[in-house]
Amino acid sequence: MANGLNNLIKKEVKELLRDPKIMLSMVLMPLLIFPLMGSAMNISTTAVEESARQVTVSLLDMDHGVMAQSLSAAFRVMNVTLVETQATTVDEALDELQNTNMTTLVVIPSGFSQNLTLGLKGSLKVYSVYKSLSIAEQAKTSVVDVPISVFESALVRQAITQAFPGRDPSTVLNPISVSSFSVVKGNVINISPSVLSSLFISQSIGFPMVIMMLLISAMQVAATTISIEKEEKTLETLLTMPISRLGILTGKLVGSVVVAAAGAAASMVGVNYYTSSIFSMLPTETVNLEALGLSMSPLSYGLLGVVMFVTIVSALALAIVVAAFSENVRSAQSIVGFMNIIFVIPSIVLMYADIEILPAPLQMVLYAIPYTHAILAAKAAFMGDYLVMARSIAYISVFTVVLLYVAAKIFTTEKIVTARISFRKRETKAQSK
Amino acid sequence: MNQIAIEATGLVKTFGNIRALDGLSFNVAKGEIFGLIGPNGAGKTTTLRILATLIKPSSGSAKVFGLDVEKDASEVRRIISYLPEEAGAYRNLSGREYLEFMANFYSLNNHDSHVAVEDAAEISGLGERLKDRVKTYSKGMGRRLLLARALMMKPRLAILDEPTSGLDVVHAYHVRRIIQDYVKTYGVTVLLSSHNMLEVELLCSRVALINEGRVIGEGTPQELKSFHRASNLEEVFMEATKLG
Repeated sequence: MANGLNNLIKKEVKELLRDPKIMLSMVLMPLLIFPLMGSAMNISTTAVEESARQVTVSLLDMDHGVMAQSLSAAFRVMNVTLVETQATTVDEALDELQNTNMTTLVVIPSGFSQNLTLGLKGSLKVYSVYKSLSIAEQAKTSVVDVPISVFESALVRQAITQAFPGRDPSTVLNPISVSSFSVVKGNVINISPSVLSSLFISQSIGFPMVIMMLLISAMQVAATTISIEKEEKTLETLLTMPISRLGILTGKLVGSVVVAAAGAAASMVGVNYYTSSIFSMLPTETVNLEALGLSMSPLSYGLLGVVMFVTIVSALALAIVVAAFSENVRSAQSIVGFMNIIFVIPSIVLMYADIEILPAPLQMVLYAIPYTHAILAAKAAFMGDYLVMARSIAYISVFTVVLLYVAAKIFTTEKIVTARISFRKRETKAQSK
Repeated sequence: MNQIAIEATGLVKTFGNIRALDGLSFNVAKGEIFGLIGPNGAGKTTTLRILATLIKPSSGSAKVFGLDVEKDASEVRRIISYLPEEAGAYRNLSGREYLEFMANFYSLNNHDSHVAVEDAAEISGLGERLKDRVKTYSKGMGRRLLLARALMMKPRLAILDEPTSGLDVVHAYHVRRIIQDYVKTYGVTVLLSSHNMLEVELLCSRVALINEGRVIGEGTPQELKSFHRASNLEEVFMEATKLG
């Protein structure tokens, strides 16, 4: 028996790993996709910043006054290169702008300096040329806002100093000072909540995505191992070998688990890289994230590994039960594909909302789906909430045991063979009559 | 030593409201090549599947060398081998890996396992091609690999469902010769089913004619031909179904 089981597991793993589709979806994809996602986010953020930094702005100065010169100085101080155009009208300047790689034209109309000196409103015109609709373009066009507001606040400060000699202008401008703190797990952190919430958003989208993709591919693997035996007509021979039916089921399951475990390991590595890329966007030099408990502890990683494992086994058992009833790989895969909805729904709902804030009936439905617990456990791992993780492991394990019992029932009766026979007999009888 | 290889008594098998077997009985002696012949849907495959422990009879009993196919299924599986009509081998394994995988189920030591695989390699006649993946094989090559698998353990009973199904003349001839040689050399008992009356006449020491789940005639090909005054088994079968 032990011999036969070993034999079967070895063959399953060998066969699965020789299937390029499975290798690609289970191991290579998570290993590549998540680090790529992380670096892509990093690279594009950096690129946006870089391109904004190198921006050159065209200037049409029709004022030539003192204030116009001060404004130009403010631009240079803020590292924005100004290119003064030779054009004499706005239309000419805009035509010229179209032929360059500059995207912004600042026009200082005549009377600008005079108005400001007289205490009237000075007017400025900023033209932004849109060449594409990306975030980078947006960043380029908004680059003139900073020097203008710097110049403006200098004017304001000057006016305040003139009106209230001896007073700190900031007490007039911002009479109230607000300091923001975040409280995480009882620790007060000197980070604004807006920074933290953007971090949490990336976490709560990232984990459900990983779990969903992993389960979907694991189920495809398991469904394939059973249904390919039916499709390639190897199952009947296997069932007449001197190995118990439960041995065959165990072999199939363990074989798929080995391959899925490789997939889980690959995605843990991938996720680890992904989260570290996300973390690197935070101002780490000012905040020690590990001291705050915002990075995963080894226990969290361990428990998350267990959650992933039981979740995968349960998905595999589910796929095997389904595949036992289907006649070929395609039908097994499409039924399993349809069942993906039980991963997709909790994943999507929990991406946008915490389970506690949902209406009670929806909460109950979600809690009944075992895969909800996998996602909750992943969130809990991040917060170090071990109790939630233990509860998830327990619930998913119970569900898995029930599924395995059903799978064993199917395997030990003739159902695994007959679904097809009875169908075929009916056909031949009908033909002969 | 039990001289009766197969003892099938009053086998009934229903699938829903279809009665696939309707009180089918026959005996096969040790060392015989016994043929089941009959039209599509007569119950040949159902009978073979019951004897191979794949499905259970609704009523009646079947014994293989005295072992009940229902109660002693795991013991029966140790002494039989079954070649289904539509069978395949694992496409991503090589022919040799497939044979090794199958041999390893019989808790053999390395030497015995090696001998079994070498035997199978010879029976299959695939030579160097055994190193290639099964998915590159032609239908005939695949069937020879499967037959080699079914015979390599020298089972006490080989159950072969349409052993030459879909093969061309050359491959079918080769397969038939292997079966005959094996029975002669190792005293293996063979139960086979076939549509091909010529094949049955050439191979089988005794045959049972099956129609609508029942045996409608049994004997050596010669006996059946003289009883029905027919020149071949095809005519015997047409006569027998008229009577039935």
